[in-house]
Amino acid sequence: MRTFFSVYKSCISAAFARASAYRLNFLLSLAITLGFNLLFPLVTILIYSAGSSFPGWGFFEVLLIQSVFTLSNGLAGMMFGGVLWATMQHVREGSFEIVLLKPTSPLFFLISTNFDEDSLGLLVGGGALFVTAFIFADVSVLALPAFAILFAAGFCVMAGMNMLMAATSFKWVGNSRIPEIFDSIMTFGKYPLTIFPNMIRGIATFAIPVGMIAFYPATALLGGYDLKIFLVAIPCVLFMFLGVWTYRYMVRAYEGVGG
Amino acid sequence: MFPFLKKQIDVCAAVASVTFKEWGAYRSHSMVSIFVGPVFFIVQYFIWTAVFESGAMPGMELEEVIRYFAAVALIGYLVMDFADWNLSMLVRTGKFLTFALRPLNHSFFALSQKVGHRILGFLVEFVPCYFIFMFIFKIDMRPAFFGWVLISISLAFLMNFYVNYCIGLASFWVVQSQGIRSVYELLGGIFSGALIPLVFFPLPLQKLQFFLPFQYTSYVPAMVFLGKYSLGGVEISIPVIVGIQALAVAVVFMLCKILNEFAMKHSTAVGA
Repeated sequence: MRTFFSVYKSCISAAFARASAYRLNFLLSLAITLGFNLLFPLVTILIYSAGSSFPGWGFFEVLLIQSVFTLSNGLAGMMFGGVLWATMQHVREGSFEIVLLKPTSPLFFLISTNFDEDSLGLLVGGGALFVTAFIFADVSVLALPAFAILFAAGFCVMAGMNMLMAATSFKWVGNSRIPEIFDSIMTFGKYPLTIFPNMIRGIATFAIPVGMIAFYPATALLGGYDLKIFLVAIPCVLFMFLGVWTYRYMVRAYEGVGG
Repeated sequence: MFPFLKKQIDVCAAVASVTFKEWGAYRSHSMVSIFVGPVFFIVQYFIWTAVFESGAMPGMELEEVIRYFAAVALIGYLVMDFADWNLSMLVRTGKFLTFALRPLNHSFFALSQKVGHRILGFLVEFVPCYFIFMFIFKIDMRPAFFGWVLISISLAFLMNFYVNYCIGLASFWVVQSQGIRSVYELLGGIFSGALIPLVFFPLPLQKLQFFLPFQYTSYVPAMVFLGKYSLGGVEISIPVIVGIQALAVAVVFMLCKILNEFAMKHSTAVGA
């Protein structure tokens, strides 16, 4: 385990060293990521500024959901975002053997060597939105531990999504639109689940638990949770394991002749 | 005049046909839209249904908003373009030199490629999604004025291409134009009306849109589809707004020509 941490730490240092060589590009990328990030609450801002709302939800409560989603997305993007593109490139070029020859797990190798420092912009933007929403929404500080547990569960969903996307690229070779499929599913997690009908709510809670990415953690922070909600963390962890298992299975299905 | 036009049409048809076959080999990539488009639409449907439950939004009724988002999704499949990325890649890798040696203007070649690419998009993205919206979601997808919608979408197609081509031309000066393309994409995401109808924006921002290219690629054709256009507190008849759109396309086309001239003079390359 210590070796894993040591390798991961070295890879993060290398990623930032690489970024610092092209500082302007890095800063621009951060700014652009941040800008794209601001698009997402724009709809909410315009809706509330026009005097409408999501029924039962105040502006800062919705902003809290969206900031939690952005934070989770940023964190998962930094850690796992590069795995899809690296896998896709290796599979398309037939060079995945290089990864297989490394003296460590292929998945761990790709995760550690593809740390995406550009997603830092999402974390910064998400963090700023979160602090704003935290100050102005009626948040219960005592619910912070519950929030942390549910946020971790949501992060498991994000990790599972990224693994599934990367695994898909073994069979659907070179399709750069794979993330669009998963992004469209995750859109349900960006808004209060209460606006959707029961069937979608059920799917987003138990089957593909995108509701856990932001809706449930934010609801916990707003004091609207009971102990049963923690049971929903189970499918999230299972979802992450499903992603890891699928990726490892697809690695075994990979065929190549040396690039 | 006519032999020249015939030659141009023949060239366009040949390039479009090859592009169609080339991308047709990867049609499953385009067919991702058959899943993604309806899923995004479902989300929009429930968002706006919930929003209108709590109160009206200025300028549009719920039914119009729902039809608007369906139209925006479908129009997106017809006008989608990545000429900027393509040109940028050709300049960066030096491959543009091979086009400079051909007896054919690259912008016309790229436009013909786009025609072929979007014919494929029409068949594998637009048609299936149209039927999904019309017969599964039961959205009334009959345009108010078929002829005007056709003209407006054609103009949006040209507008999207020429603006993207202008951005691609920036690569002759900055080589890696990713930053410029991202900024345009960001602004386009906000101001094209694909994210939210422009009529919901604050009034000064709405007025500003008449002088920016973004609304002409999405908002205008979608509103022409609905049969009514208003922005910045002004209601404009359909023929007039399509005329304004045509004027905007002409301006961008001229700008593209001028930039192209400068770019060709600035361009240097060896080998490729």
